Amino acid sequence: MSRNPYVRKMSKTTWFLTHGRYRSYILHELSSFFVAIYTGILIMGLLRLGSGPEEWAGWLEGVTSPAGIVFHLLAFAFAIIHTVSWFKVVPQAMRIQRGEDFVPGQLLVRAHYGVLAGVSVVVLILAGIA
Amino acid sequence: MEVIKTDVAIVGAGGAGLRAAIAVAEADPSIEIALISKVYPMRSHTCAAEGGAAGVIESDDSLEYHFNDTVQGGDWLTDQDAVELFVNTIPKELTQMEHWGCPWSRKENGDVAVRPFGGMKIMRTWFAADKTGFHMLHTLFQTSLQFPSIKRYDEFFSTDLMVDNGRCTGVTAIEMRSGQMRLFQAKAVILCTGGAGRIYPFTTNGAIKTGDGWGMAYRAGVPLKDMEFVQYHPTGLPGSGILLTEGCRGEGGILVNKDGYRYLQDYGMGPPDPWPRLKAMELGPRDRLSQAFWHEQKKGNTIPTQWGDVVHLDMRHLGEAKIDERLPLVRDLASSYVGTDPVTSLVPVRPVVHYMMGGIHTDIDAATPLPGLYAAGECACVSINGANRLGSNSLGELLVFGARAGRHAVEYVRSAPEPNAAALEKQGAEAQKRITDLFTRTDGTERVAVLRREMNDAMEEGCGIYRDANTTKMSCDKTTELRQRFKRINLEDKSNVYNTDLFQCLELGNMLDCAETIAQSAFQRQESRGSHQRLDFEARDDSKYLKHSMAAYNGDDPPKIDYLDVVITKSQPAERVYGGEQK
Amino acid sequence: MSTREITLKVLRYRPEVDSKPFFQTYEKVPCEEEWVVLDALNYIKDEIDRTLSFRWSCHMFVCGSCGMVINGEPKLSCKAFLRDYGKKITVEPLANFPIERDLVVVIDDFVEKLLSVKPWVIPKVKKSLDDGAYNQTPAQLKSFKQYSMCINCLLCYSACPQYGLDNSFVGPASLALAHRYNMDSRDVGRKAREDVVASAEGIWECSFVGACSQVCPKDVDPAGAIQQIKITSAIDYVMSMVPGGK
Repeated sequence: MSRNPYVRKMSKTTWFLTHGRYRSYILHELSSFFVAIYTGILIMGLLRLGSGPEEWAGWLEGVTSPAGIVFHLLAFAFAIIHTVSWFKVVPQAMRIQRGEDFVPGQLLVRAHYGVLAGVSVVVLILAGIA
Repeated sequence: MEVIKTDVAIVGAGGAGLRAAIAVAEADPSIEIALISKVYPMRSHTCAAEGGAAGVIESDDSLEYHFNDTVQGGDWLTDQDAVELFVNTIPKELTQMEHWGCPWSRKENGDVAVRPFGGMKIMRTWFAADKTGFHMLHTLFQTSLQFPSIKRYDEFFSTDLMVDNGRCTGVTAIEMRSGQMRLFQAKAVILCTGGAGRIYPFTTNGAIKTGDGWGMAYRAGVPLKDMEFVQYHPTGLPGSGILLTEGCRGEGGILVNKDGYRYLQDYGMGPPDPWPRLKAMELGPRDRLSQAFWHEQKKGNTIPTQWGDVVHLDMRHLGEAKIDERLPLVRDLASSYVGTDPVTSLVPVRPVVHYMMGGIHTDIDAATPLPGLYAAGECACVSINGANRLGSNSLGELLVFGARAGRHAVEYVRSAPEPNAAALEKQGAEAQKRITDLFTRTDGTERVAVLRREMNDAMEEGCGIYRDANTTKMSCDKTTELRQRFKRINLEDKSNVYNTDLFQCLELGNMLDCAETIAQSAFQRQESRGSHQRLDFEARDDSKYLKHSMAAYNGDDPPKIDYLDVVITKSQPAERVYGGEQK
Repeated sequence: MSTREITLKVLRYRPEVDSKPFFQTYEKVPCEEEWVVLDALNYIKDEIDRTLSFRWSCHMFVCGSCGMVINGEPKLSCKAFLRDYGKKITVEPLANFPIERDLVVVIDDFVEKLLSVKPWVIPKVKKSLDDGAYNQTPAQLKSFKQYSMCINCLLCYSACPQYGLDNSFVGPASLALAHRYNMDSRDVGRKAREDVVASAEGIWECSFVGACSQVCPKDVDPAGAIQQIKITSAIDYVMSMVPGGK
C-alpha cells in the first residue's frame, strides 16, 4: 500500500571506477588482454617461421621495431601484474589441509613463485641465454 | 484487516521458536505453522549466547549430578519435576542438534568435547568455540528451511494475543515493512519471545530483548512468575555491556581485584588452589560472583575506569593458541571495545544484566494456564532456573521446552475447535484501534527515549544486585508512574513503512508493564534467595518463601502478587555450598 | 569521559514522501570517544530525529542486523569505531538491495537464494538419536568451520559487483554456506545442491573480484569457497568425460 522500495542501479559502464578494489580487479582483467595479445603474436611468429625465412624475417622486424618493443615492455609489465595478482589469491582457491591445520597460504604463494622461477630458468637455458 | 489462518502461530523465531516450529513440522506435516518474528530468525538474540549448553555425556557424569547442580544453583526455587525432565532430555536434544549439523567442538578422537562451567560439578557443557548460541541458531534456522509447512512471517511485530471463550485463538501483528496489521487466526499460539534485559541500562541483551511476549501474555491474564530474579553475569565489558562468556573462566581465566588478589576466596568460594577446580572460585554460580563484585566495590577494592568500577579477568596464562581456538570472539570483542588483548593484558569486567529467570508461567509441557497458549525459552518460566540459572542451562532449555511446546501444541490443535471468527475480528479491531490511536492523538507529551531512560535508571538503582524495601519501593512507584505517563506517549514518526519509532514505543510499553512486575515481586519477597538479595532480609526464608511469585495483571494498577508452591520431589532445601576441597 | 562532535551524513529515503533518496546531514552529534557509528545513529534516533530508521540488535558483531555502507565501505555499524574515522562520516544503506526506507534494505532476494542452496545436512542415511552423535575429528570440523561463521549480514552482497550488475547471481554468502555443508563430513548433499550451485547463476557467475572476502567481518572468505567449488566442479566435469570416470 505505502511501500515503494527504491532500486539503485549499478552503472554497467563505470562501476569498476567506483572503488579501489574494483579498479585493481579491472586492472587484473585488463592485464590478461595484453597477455593474450602477446600470446597471439608469439603464435603468429611460429606460423611465420614455418612458412619460410622471409616471412620470419618480416615478423622479426615487426617485433623489434620501436612500436614492437614498446608493446613488449607494456605486455611484460602487465604480465607481471597478472602474475602477482593471481598468485596473491592462490591461498583462497587452494586450501590444503595437512592433519588438522591448513598449509600456510604464504607458503603456497612462495611455492608458486618458486615454480615460476624454475620454469623461467629452464626456458632461458633452452634459449641459450643463461 | 487481513486474516491469516493457520494452525499453530509461533511468536519469536530464535532458538525456542525455531525448535518448536521444527517439532510441529516433524510431528505432522499437515499442520500449518506461522512463524512470526519482529526480526529475521538469524538476528534473534540466541545468536549472542557464547559459552555452551549443558548435557550429561561423559562417563563420570550422571543425570542426578546435573539435577543436583541445577536445583542447588537455583537455590531450591526450581520445580524439580521440570528439572528432572530437563536433564533427562537434554542429551538427546543436543545430539539432535549434532545430527542437524551444529559444529560442536570436538575431542581428538572425534567425540563431542565438553568444557567446565560455573556451578557444574562435572564438565558437561557442549560448546562450539565461543559462539555456541550463534551456531545453534543458524543450525536451527537452516534446518527449518527444509520444512514446507513452516511459513515464516519475518519482521512482523506482534501486538496482542486474541483470547476467546477462555482460550487463545490467535495474535495480531504489524507487518513492519508496510505498517499494516494482520490477524493470525490460530488454534494454538506459542510464545518464544525471549527476555527483557533492555529494561535495565547496562545489559548483555540486544535491542530486541524487550519482553514483548511477556507483555502480551500478562495483559491476556497469564501470570508472570518469579520476575524478581534477574541474573547479573559477572563478566561484561564495561561501557558497552558486551558479554564475555563464562567459558573464559571455564577455560581457566581468573578474576582479580585492584591488588591482583583473587577476591572470590573471601566470599565462600575458596580456597583458590588447586586451580582449575569445578564449582569453586571463578567456577562458582553467577549470582554469587556478581554479589562478590558488589562487596569488593563497597570495600574499595575495584578499579575505577572511565566506564565505572571494574575488576580484572586474567586469561594471559591460557596462551594465544588456546584463546584463539576456544575464545576467538572474546579476543575480538575485548580488543575492539576496550582495547585490551586477553593474550597479553588484563581485561576489565563488571557484572551486567544478562538473563531473566522469571517469565510466563508454564507447566512442564510448556502450557500456560490459558488453553491454547504455550511458552518456551527465556520468555517462559517452567521453572528449571529457580532463583539463579546456571550458565549453559538456557540453551538446553530452549531446545527441550521449545520442542515440547511444539509437540504439545500439536496434540492440542488436533482436538481444538476452529476459532470463532467474529470474536476474533472484534478483538483484532480493538488491537488495531490501540495502534491507530497512537497515530491520531494530538495530546502526546512524553518521549520514548526519556521514559526508557527513567525506567532503566529506576530499575538499576532499585532492583539491582542488592535491594531493600526502600529501593524496591522506589522502583515500584517509579514504574507505576511511568506506566501512567506512557499513556501520553507522543509518536513522533507517523509514517507506515518500517516505523521504528512506533516499534520502540510498543516495546517500551511492554517493558514498563514487565518492569513493574519485577519491582513489585522484588518488593514483596522479604528474603534473600539466589539472585534476589535483600539487604534488609539477608537470609533465605523457606517457611514463607519457598514459593514462586505470581504477578497477575491488574489494569492500570500494579500487579497482584500471589504465591505458588515450589515442586519438590527428591531434593530437600539445604545450604548452598561452593568452594571447599570438594571435587 | 572524552567526547567529540561529529557530522553524520545519512542517506534518507521515506517512501511515503520522497521520490528518491537524499542525504540528510546531522551536525555536531556529541559522541563519546569509544563509540561506534551505531551508537551515534542511536543518539540521533533518541535525541534529534525519531524518524530515522535502521536495523540493529546485538551490538557485538554477531546478529548481522546493522550492515551499512560507511564512507563507501560495507561495514557492520557496531564494528565501525568512530576513532577510525574523521569528523565527518557518510552512512548509506547496503548497496545492491532495494531501499525499503532510510538505512533499511529489502533482503527477500537473499533469503530466497539461501533457501535455494539447501543449507542443511543431507545425510547418507538418517541416523537414530539413540545411536548418538556422529564422529567428526577436529580436522574434519576445521575443514568447513570457517564457512559456518557467516552471520548473513550481507556486506558481501553489497560489495559484489557481479550481484550488483545481475542479481540472478546466487551470491557469496549463499554459495559459501553451500560449501560449508558440502565440506561437512556428515553431509552427502553436494549433488543435490549442484543444480543451483554449479550453474551459470551459481559459481560460474563469479569472476573472482574478491570483494566479498575483503569486506566480510567474520573472515568467512566466500570468494575462496566459490573458487574451491569451481575446482571440484571442473574435476567432476572432466571425470564425466573420461570413459570409466563417473
